Amino acid sequence: MQQFVNVTLSGLTQGMIYAAFALALVLIWRSTRIVNFAQGSMAAATAFIALALINAGQSYWVALIVALASGFILGAVVERVIVRPVEGGPELNAVIVTLGLFVAIQALIAIIFGSSFQSFPTPFGVRGFTIGDTTILLTPTSVYIIVSVLITMALLVALFRFTRVGLAMRASAFGQEVARLLGVRVGRMLTLGWALAAVVGSLSGLLIAGGGFIYPAYMDSLIVFGFVAAVLGGLDSPVGAIVGGLILGLALSYVSGYVERGSALVNVSALVILMVVLLVRPGGLFASSTARRA
Amino acid sequence: MSLLAAATVVSTVAACGGSNDDNGGGGSTGGANEASAPGITADSIKLGAHFPLTGVAAPGYSEIPTGAQAYFDYVNKNGGVYDRQIEYIYKDDAYNPTNTSQVVNQLVLEDEVFAIVGGLGTPTHSAVLDFLNSEGVPDLFVSSGSRLWGEEPGTNPYTFGWQTDYESEGKIIGQYIADEFPDAKVGLFLQDDDFGEDGEKGIRQFVDDQIVAAERYTPGNTNVAPQISALQAAGADFVVGFNVPSYTALSQLTALQLGYKPQQWFYSNVGSDPTLVGSLLQRFSQGAVSDASLLDGALTTDYLPTVDEPDNPWVQLFQKVWDESGQEGELTNYRIYGMAQAYTTIQALQAAGQNPTRDDLVEAIETVGGDWKGPVLAPFRYSADSHMGTNGMSISRLTGTSSEEVVPVQTTDLENADIKEYDGKPATPPSSGIPDEPAFK
Repeated sequence: MQQFVNVTLSGLTQGMIYAAFALALVLIWRSTRIVNFAQGSMAAATAFIALALINAGQSYWVALIVALASGFILGAVVERVIVRPVEGGPELNAVIVTLGLFVAIQALIAIIFGSSFQSFPTPFGVRGFTIGDTTILLTPTSVYIIVSVLITMALLVALFRFTRVGLAMRASAFGQEVARLLGVRVGRMLTLGWALAAVVGSLSGLLIAGGGFIYPAYMDSLIVFGFVAAVLGGLDSPVGAIVGGLILGLALSYVSGYVERGSALVNVSALVILMVVLLVRPGGLFASSTARRA
Repeated sequence: MSLLAAATVVSTVAACGGSNDDNGGGGSTGGANEASAPGITADSIKLGAHFPLTGVAAPGYSEIPTGAQAYFDYVNKNGGVYDRQIEYIYKDDAYNPTNTSQVVNQLVLEDEVFAIVGGLGTPTHSAVLDFLNSEGVPDLFVSSGSRLWGEEPGTNPYTFGWQTDYESEGKIIGQYIADEFPDAKVGLFLQDDDFGEDGEKGIRQFVDDQIVAAERYTPGNTNVAPQISALQAAGADFVVGFNVPSYTALSQLTALQLGYKPQQWFYSNVGSDPTLVGSLLQRFSQGAVSDASLLDGALTTDYLPTVDEPDNPWVQLFQKVWDESGQEGELTNYRIYGMAQAYTTIQALQAAGQNPTRDDLVEAIETVGGDWKGPVLAPFRYSADSHMGTNGMSISRLTGTSSEEVVPVQTTDLENADIKEYDGKPATPPSSGIPDEPAFK
């Protein structure tokens, strides 16, 4: 029983982390219709900036804010300088550029910050809460992760649903020409979309890092799981990203905990889940508009 | 995914004046140096190696070649081997077998090294085992405790192991548990490959009925909560880990999260470097976590002297060599490993004779390698029938920054070979710090 509770809690926390990353992918998809494979490396870069500040004696929170701000700038710069020139062409071009960027940024991190394992602090404890005399695998850090991700999701929903900027961003992504005719400054909206997505990505990178270890490639498996979570949720829906992340997190945790040699089967299981969902519901579990294709 | 994969470090051969003959290997026979084999010229010997300098396996392991480099530099400064300077080239494979094939191809075909020395890792080195043996390139002292390197010299005549194999290590650990903790409920935390499998096999020979759970993790999957909570659920109170250092840190961290406190942790030699694990966990032990050192009291095995024994003459020698090399960083156990391996390499090169062929080198190790004395605690098993490395280990307890010996050096071999206490005396380094082996023929 205790093991079941712990495996479940582990799955929930991991799932929230996948969800955080999926949110960043959803955001950039909604606002630019591009899947950004460089998201993981960009997040890792900001996490290393945060760690450098922490090592220099700054508090976690200062480091967090600086990292998010540098994420914002990095996202905007990447869009303006690297993605903009290929944005008008076939969709595949932009995706391939982000793949190249993914490798390049990772290498750059290794050159600047080194490639060794480093532990990343967390502002909260890493000991599980106790109920009676049993400790459960729910730590103050995991509560921090869960709450942050839920707040981020709420903010994103609010942005897209209730603000003019959110509407303009969706319009620019959906139909550039039409949006332009209606007076939306499409270029700015795309830059803003990239910048905000990079902020969310950076947050997920820092949440994942806290109380664990980072190295230049630490986001690699997250990119895969985050992408699966986002696609499960329909790639378009912040709520879907959270649900997709949780489903994936729980499923992988149960596989790892209860299947013989499960740890080795985790990656395969993610693929199986993705395939089954796409076969049954090609648009994802929370596809808001199957008819709408940009 | 690292663009640094091709990063290459080439030793600069600092040819110094003092090339007096007594340092150049024992049975110096006079006569001229010849280019007797690929990689050997009248005044140089080229050696190659592959290590993970980047990626998950880099922490710790990337320091090994810096240690080897320091020792080769030291030998070069004192006249080299038969007046030949050693040129040591090590390349990054990022612990990825595909990269290993590529860099070893380069080393053999482009750089034309005389031998590969100390290539690290079971999955990585397996990828080049056939290539090196079919090309007839000596493949000395693989940095891995797999039995692959030494158990079948007929199939792999050019490959030699060096460190204690994981199965023998498991046996020594298993016997210790059976003797000292006959009532313990043993849980195993294993890397899901040969490393964990061999270790498990050895342990099960002695405490099969005491084992309550065997949990396996896959390198790269950093969430070990399901595995550690399974050990906890099975009630294991004595946990033995056959894992790499980053997973020692992860398992300790996860146990902390779970409030899991088995009475005893035992980490195999590979995963137990206290400095490395301590530096990884340190940040969590400040502030949020109050325990000074999570690894305090854990047991481990040794086949080499360690940095926490400053009075050991070998450690003193290696400290001197490291200081003289002027490289960045402190002397660590990984650097001692690299230097000790380089020491054995020099013994082999000296024994091979003044103008050796590649086959001479192999024959020399088979013929006299079993008698070599050096920093390694127990003898090597080298013969025409076995290319297995050293056969023994001691058990020690980690206490803060030092360790205390719990069981003296035990020696054994694969399968059902008995375990015996080693009765030889520990070797002391020669005053020059460089071995002086006679040519084997």
